[in-house]
Amino acid sequence: MSWHPSIPAAEVREKGAVAVEADGLRLALFALEGEIFATANICTHAFALLTEGHVEGGCVECPLHQGLFDIRTGKAQGAPVTKDLATYAVKVEDGTVWIDTEPRAGAEAEAPAFAGAGQGPDPRRVVILGGGQAGAEAARALRAEGFAGPVTLVGAEAHAPYERPPLSKDLLLGRTTLAEAEVFEPGEAERLGTVLRLGLRATAIDRAARQVALEDGTALGYDILILATGAEARRLALPGAETVTLHSLRDAGDAQRLGPALRAASRVAVIGGGFIGLEIASAARALGRDVAVIEAQDRLLKRLLPEGPAELLAWVAGENGVALHLGAAVAGVSPEGVALADGRLVAADCIVIGAGAVPGDALGRAAGLETATAGGILVNARGATSDPAIYAIGDVAVARDEISGAETRMESWQNARASALRAACAIAGTPLPAPETPWFWSDLFGGTLQIAGLPAPDLPTVRRDGDAPAFYCLDAASRVTACIEFGDPELLRLGRRLIASGQPVDPARLADPDTDLSLIEEDDMKMLPIEKRFTWPASGLDRVPDWVYTSREIYDREIERIFHGPTWNYVGLAAEVPEPGDYIRTNVGPTPVVMVRDHDGGINVVENRCSHRAAEFCRELRGNAEEFVCPYHQWSYDLKGNLSGVPFRRGVNGEGGMGPDFDPANHGVRKLKVTQRNGAVFASFSEEVESFEDYMGAEMLADFDTVFPGRKLRVLGHYRHTLMGNWKLYPENLKDPYHATLLHTFLVTFGLLVAGNKSAMIVDPRGRHSTMASAKSDGATVSAENKAEMRAYRDGMVLEDPRLMEFVEEFDSPWSVTMQVVWPGLIVQREMNTLGVRQIVPNGPNEFTMVWTMFGYEDDDEEMTRHRLRQGNLMGPAGFLGLEDNEAIKFVQDGMLNSTGGEHLVALDPKVPAGTSNTLISEAAIRAMYRHWRQEMGL
Amino acid sequence: MSMMTGERAAADTRAARREARLAIEEFNAEYCAVLDDGDLMDWPDFFTAEAFYNITSRENFDHGRPVGLVYCEGRAMLRDRALAIAKTSMFGPRYLRHYMANTRVTGIEPGGTICATVNYILIETLAELPEGRLHQAGRMIDRFEPQPGGGLLLSSRIAVYDTLLVPNALVLPV
Ligand SMILES: Cc1cc2nc3c(=O)[nH]c(=O)nc-3n(C[C@H](O)[C@H](O)[C@H](O)COP(=O)(O)OP(=O)(O)OC[C@H]3O[C@@H](n4cnc5c(N)ncnc54)[C@H](O)[C@@H]3O)c2cc1C
Ligand code: FES
Ligand SMILES: [Fe+2]
Repeated sequence: MSWHPSIPAAEVREKGAVAVEADGLRLALFALEGEIFATANICTHAFALLTEGHVEGGCVECPLHQGLFDIRTGKAQGAPVTKDLATYAVKVEDGTVWIDTEPRAGAEAEAPAFAGAGQGPDPRRVVILGGGQAGAEAARALRAEGFAGPVTLVGAEAHAPYERPPLSKDLLLGRTTLAEAEVFEPGEAERLGTVLRLGLRATAIDRAARQVALEDGTALGYDILILATGAEARRLALPGAETVTLHSLRDAGDAQRLGPALRAASRVAVIGGGFIGLEIASAARALGRDVAVIEAQDRLLKRLLPEGPAELLAWVAGENGVALHLGAAVAGVSPEGVALADGRLVAADCIVIGAGAVPGDALGRAAGLETATAGGILVNARGATSDPAIYAIGDVAVARDEISGAETRMESWQNARASALRAACAIAGTPLPAPETPWFWSDLFGGTLQIAGLPAPDLPTVRRDGDAPAFYCLDAASRVTACIEFGDPELLRLGRRLIASGQPVDPARLADPDTDLSLIEEDDMKMLPIEKRFTWPASGLDRVPDWVYTSREIYDREIERIFHGPTWNYVGLAAEVPEPGDYIRTNVGPTPVVMVRDHDGGINVVENRCSHRAAEFCRELRGNAEEFVCPYHQWSYDLKGNLSGVPFRRGVNGEGGMGPDFDPANHGVRKLKVTQRNGAVFASFSEEVESFEDYMGAEMLADFDTVFPGRKLRVLGHYRHTLMGNWKLYPENLKDPYHATLLHTFLVTFGLLVAGNKSAMIVDPRGRHSTMASAKSDGATVSAENKAEMRAYRDGMVLEDPRLMEFVEEFDSPWSVTMQVVWPGLIVQREMNTLGVRQIVPNGPNEFTMVWTMFGYEDDDEEMTRHRLRQGNLMGPAGFLGLEDNEAIKFVQDGMLNSTGGEHLVALDPKVPAGTSNTLISEAAIRAMYRHWRQEMGL
Repeated sequence: MSMMTGERAAADTRAARREARLAIEEFNAEYCAVLDDGDLMDWPDFFTAEAFYNITSRENFDHGRPVGLVYCEGRAMLRDRALAIAKTSMFGPRYLRHYMANTRVTGIEPGGTICATVNYILIETLAELPEGRLHQAGRMIDRFEPQPGGGLLLSSRIAVYDTLLVPNALVLPV
């Protein structure tokens, strides 16, 4: 213990944070709720004084890169800081703060050791290819997430893994060393139990054998492979290249060559005005060299930044003595310098190419992994490539958004780390962290430029002048999507909050330096928009959050966007209303409608809501009427829904009645768009909905037409029941071929469906409609092995009356059973010979009604009708299969309503991200449905 | 003098109907006891070999639509249902209790067949719904066949429920 006095406690309490020195240490004193705490004052990430940072919620945020530390414990709260802050004991005596300058044993000492991982070693071998930042961070994160199996890291560079940012900054100036930039602390790799194989290049991946070939001729087996092969400096084929040394900067070797070259040069030409080029220019200026930057585009960073910040950068470079040649094509290089296409010569004795980087995707590409058009290995939200055993992280990975399909590759320190962590979580099976706002920094001409969010060159941009200017990119709805700051980190901090809040802002107020940005938030941001409140699990489509099934707000949005949106909703069969005046009460989603045949023979679907006082005027389930008369005030409507009579419209004795502007033509009941397909009637609230044929697509239409071939239908009757679950669980159930053999023992027992049967789960290209199909087989053909897999299988049970299971071939189809989902609310059932449609009528998030209409064909003979009726025992609320699905759906909703909130796991068959799969042990069809749902819902 | 001797045409008298009603009430009490507390596999034995059994909504029945939640032709099919429910079906634990009342004999045919109706209600109690709820209310339209050894068997039972909306699932027969 070594106690040292410092300043009065009152001063700390007054200022909140004060920098002090004690015992030769730079320390920070913070007052939190009256109590005083001491920590080291220098950020563990880069050199900055924390007392100049922002204190909030018991944490201090580093002013430089927004690293966050818990003041009480010193714990680093996430990127970019990874190392905890030293903390010191304090006491107050006679009003003075005393500090014990021997640091407290911090969280640092508890760094997770390999052996501490718990449940015993994981049998899976992880191999990481690439020993850069991402690779090393993955090795570290795997252990932090509790992965206990063997981890080997193979890196082509001989040097221990290091971070690249200093290469173009302090390292060039000799202000730091490569050792300082190393990712691992001394001894850390051993502690993690990571086998480092450095200076060794991998030459091929054999996915079938799960082996990596190495340049020394050996092979390395893996169960999970992580590609972290980074990027390479883009090479330019320039005439005259052989006459000079062309520098570029990607790795330590490059930096070791470039540093002395800059020092020896007098004039430096940098080809390429990207961040690395500008940083090199900045370093060369710091060394006092003449510097020219040659950029082919007409401005700097044209593909990345909007004009405002790019021009500011150009201005700063110019102010710092950099000669900028914009819109300048390079004709060639020579010992004299760089010749431009317009004939000018940029004299230089040191030429550096800073033309960006190309992803090092050669290994993955050769192994047949899916790649992006612009290069790089495609990955999902968890970092998995098209081969579920291979992940890709860092600069080489291109994340494809599962919903929009947008492909993004990021080259940044933060992404290297965050993508490594995501992959590690996915591999270790721990929950993925919520995505961070992208962040990038560049040190230029003595200042730091920072970017939060994803800027784009064409976004409208607002400039705001604080201590230094900052730029805010806005989207079409005037929401801040990115912030670019050059010298006033406070503006970036506020920018991040604006990005997170997702609220539209007034550009004029944003630009006005007199508006307090933190107040903009308080005034306008009481309620976060729906897409910020309901965020999908970071893992992506292999999870479905409970709120999808239980939230009233989500339900209301479904009604608006799906059932009342551009969808075709089944309302009934034409055979239910054969004569003019015949009508039935039915629904579109939850909304009551009337389907009625008029005297022209057409079928109309109108809302069951009187245009006078909203009464649901049609009360009978079905009937025949010449007109509809609302019982309340006797307004009457014709069979097309037109208002035909208003009692006392003109008043009595010239008194009362409707005004002269009342036009009955404007007050009919709401009419829906109607279409028919071979006797099935569909309605839509949307005028824009495509034709039913386009809505279904050819493949789905063929399955539909098998049941509705145009033969006249005979209605056999209805079932109605309520299910205590969210309505989507029903279509999901029919996109879940996995359950069929497991839940429905009956099917298996009597050989209707067995694993290994010919079967298919077909999804339409948009992911909304689907057909689950199977072909009947003999129980006898179930292999012993398959029986053992299915707990449900019971031998030796036979039906006394096998007529139930007889299949009369009547369709031109390879399938004896098809269960088709016509999104959103129709199921077409063809269970051998029992035919029916099921209409979903949602009643709120936790319940729906299902209306079944069972039918045959008008030309069925008596025996066929009876056969259909007998086979009906399989389905419906008391059906052998039907009742089990109802129960299962209820159990699922019970689980969500009664236990702690969370998410579902729908991860079977990861090889098919979403869509048609050729195995039944798959949830790819459910994922496809949610991909579509999320697109429709904007969530 | 019993109406159950098959030779002569059975008389559709007031007394015969009264006697039949008593027999039906006894029959139904046993029937309910088997469904509520007994072995489901005994349930098919209340029917003749050729019996017809149907549970359908009033909506269907009134419009002459033949579909049934359960639709069985013959005792073998009833046995298959009992077996399937007892041995293969997955459903949550529950108690079901059947009540039959207002027995009406509507006719006695010359062959001895007794035509009758009876109202029924079915109360369902689930583990998560211990207070129980009405599951079905309706009427049975029955045909009973007097058996040579005494007693009755159903040759047809059509359960017509007014409660159109079935709560979730109907797992046991009515
Ligand atoms: C000079 C420079 C300055 C930068 N400055 C910033 C900055 O200021 N801010 C910021 O946010 N980001 C900056 N970045 C970006 C950031 O450093 C990168 O995004 C990050 O290094 C990516 O990490 P990585 O592990 O994916 O790739 P890398 O760090 O490139 O590592 C890939 C490694 O894989 C090895 N490898 C490749 N192929 C094979 C093979 N077949 N077998 C074995 N090993 C292989 C390579 O040799 C390399 O060591 C800078 C980058 C550079 C180059
Ligand atoms: S096993 Fe699938 S829900 Fe439990
Ligand atoms: Fe099912």
